[in-house]
Amino acid sequence: MNEAELKSMIEAILQDVVAGKHSNVTGATSGVDMQSTPKESKSVVEDAYIPDLSELDIKKELYVDNPHDKEGYLKMKSFTPARLGCGRCGTRYKTKSILRFRADHAAAQDAVFSDVDPKLVEEMGFVPLQTVCKTKDEYITRPDHGRIFDDAMAKKIADNTEKGAKIVMMVGDGLSSAAIEANIRDIIPAIKQGLKKYNLDFGKILFVKYCRVPAMDPVGEISGADVVCLLVGERPGLVTAESMSAYIAYKPTIGMPEARRTVISNIHKGGTPVVEAGAYIADVIKEMLEKKKSGIDLKRA
Amino acid sequence: MEKQEDTLLTVGIDLGTSTTQLILSEITVENFASAFTVPRIEISDKKVIYRSEIIFTPLINQQIIDEIAIKEFVANEYHKAGISKDDIQMGAVIITGETARKQNSEKVLQALSGYAGDFVVATAGPDLESIIAGKGAGTEALSKAYSGCIVNYDIGGGTSNLAVFKNGDVVDTACFDIGGRLIKYDVDTKKILYIAPKIEAIISEENLSIHVGDIVTIEKLEPIISILVQVLANASGVGEKSIYYDLLITNHGLSNPETVSSVTFSGGVADCINDVDSSWDRYGDIGLLLGRSLKESILFKERQILKTEETIRATVVGAGSHTADVSGSTISYTEDTLPVKNIPVLRLTLEDELLAPEEMSKRIQNKLEWFVSDGELPLIALALQGEKAPSFKEIQRYAEGIALGMKPIWTMGKPLLVIIESDMAKALGNSLFTYLPEGHPIICVDSIQAKNGDYVDIGMPVAGGAVLPVIIKTLVFN
Repeated sequence: MNEAELKSMIEAILQDVVAGKHSNVTGATSGVDMQSTPKESKSVVEDAYIPDLSELDIKKELYVDNPHDKEGYLKMKSFTPARLGCGRCGTRYKTKSILRFRADHAAAQDAVFSDVDPKLVEEMGFVPLQTVCKTKDEYITRPDHGRIFDDAMAKKIADNTEKGAKIVMMVGDGLSSAAIEANIRDIIPAIKQGLKKYNLDFGKILFVKYCRVPAMDPVGEISGADVVCLLVGERPGLVTAESMSAYIAYKPTIGMPEARRTVISNIHKGGTPVVEAGAYIADVIKEMLEKKKSGIDLKRA
Repeated sequence: MEKQEDTLLTVGIDLGTSTTQLILSEITVENFASAFTVPRIEISDKKVIYRSEIIFTPLINQQIIDEIAIKEFVANEYHKAGISKDDIQMGAVIITGETARKQNSEKVLQALSGYAGDFVVATAGPDLESIIAGKGAGTEALSKAYSGCIVNYDIGGGTSNLAVFKNGDVVDTACFDIGGRLIKYDVDTKKILYIAPKIEAIISEENLSIHVGDIVTIEKLEPIISILVQVLANASGVGEKSIYYDLLITNHGLSNPETVSSVTFSGGVADCINDVDSSWDRYGDIGLLLGRSLKESILFKERQILKTEETIRATVVGAGSHTADVSGSTISYTEDTLPVKNIPVLRLTLEDELLAPEEMSKRIQNKLEWFVSDGELPLIALALQGEKAPSFKEIQRYAEGIALGMKPIWTMGKPLLVIIESDMAKALGNSLFTYLPEGHPIICVDSIQAKNGDYVDIGMPVAGGAVLPVIIKTLVFN
């Protein structure tokens, strides 16, 4: 049998299979019976769907077969999103576990490599800025570039912030655009409402593309603000790709020790609820303004 | 920033059918969150630092509690422990068993709760008592280590309080009028001094000849004891059901007694179970006989028996150490409003909560009517379930509904009290501020569950102001 013959034979078999005539392949004698069921296979195609694995709450999914104490296991799992009780099939994980792992990993990758939707930036009325990074690759490979602005951007910062403002609020994509898209609509008004209690407020919100945390330092220097608060996407993990942090500093300056930043991390729907984090951030900002300190110094005060 | 580790001095006072006792304990709260997240302050340790003498509950007669003698006892014990009542931040006076049914029990409780400390609460009711005893005995903690349901029998002088725990949660309670002092006699003369009413009923039904004034013997008591033990075994779904089971129920039995796999004992009678040395008539009651025949009973054969941390002190330790909880760590409050005591709770249904602000506020105002007495509306705490990860919009909806609904209360100048289960009180509080006159007092706490009919106490802030101590109590006087 030459290659062309083989090819045409396989083609023929495949066509038969698709048409439900796989009797030829299996070698069964009654091809007529098999032909009488195409209706069924059609309806399967129409109704079938693949459930979204990532919708399942990992804390409630136990894949161990015949657990000795299922309730105890689930109770233990309820305290952690770690992948416990994955079960096994021979020496490997179960298919469900592997697919979930891949789905979560893909979500993490997507969060890093996608951009925050420019429409969201516009809708929120943010002032769009960009560090000197030109591409995502540059951003990922050159952390030192993610904290610098060119002269044009520096001017834009100066033009859009009030000189010596009490508070400058900024948002950066960081390592998770998904975190910003998931949380920013709820956290901004929550912070604003929290500050209102103390008769505090902030002006235009800056949005920085390709943003590393120290990008808040030049903003602090240019604006001369008392407190700069940066909401930034956290490096995603397998638990969530939507976790956001707030980095807050009193009069940040370029090259200042990292210990001068106060950080509130783990803001997402499975961690600190977004609106609660916003309300808490408002209190932290108010305390910073009072004590004129941030980071470790504030904790010691 | 705020100091995030702190201790609370709490007191527990138990006025039981037979004994009265007091403990002081120290509760430590600590921040468990890393330095990089929102604080998460929780109770990290509970330590009993002082145990009083155990005295017989002073009575003027069978119907009246001796209030003055109890006050003296409390004053004495505080003096011995070297503390003044101003040092005490929280605690509970619990009046249990038959003592709760004395004529002046409520009055004594109220008087004592003020006298024992500015921030001591009074609580009672058989269900809560069962839970408190089970926690104090250590059954709650045991249930985290063992799988299955564990029931604690707190067998005191007048009642047996049952609480079933599973994985650290209370799943069921029950109470029976069975205790060690349902029959009392003079230790020297053996003359019977007292027979509890339900025991009288059994005696007449069974045609037994036991009467006040008779000389007591083991043989005479035996039939009574075996009925009591049978009912106690029945309570956990063991043995043939006694015809007196229903009679001896105080409020209700367990809903699913057959699920119980292990049993613990606390209360005075628990100490009698293994006491083989004392003479049966040592205490002038039936406690020792009850304990010993329990040990021989079918209950011990068919259920796993586990050892408890506390026995006779279980209730008082529970009252002192296990009633106080702390709120969530992101909350809103205005400090000058605190502390608040004995605030009745209005719990919204989930359906009410999900309504649009206008509708929600109408429901709240309708339900507030329940609390009006003598044409006056008292201070009410509004309890809700809330949402796990609410949006800002949802918070506004809740705030508007609550602020409008509770208007009759805050327009009188009274503080707005909101208790919510989900972690959202700080944002909700901030939002509530915007609907109220500037500077109006608000207390909005979360991570606390409260039901209709509960009363709540909220103490002065601890852990540098991050959390508020909270006691939820269910007052049931029958």
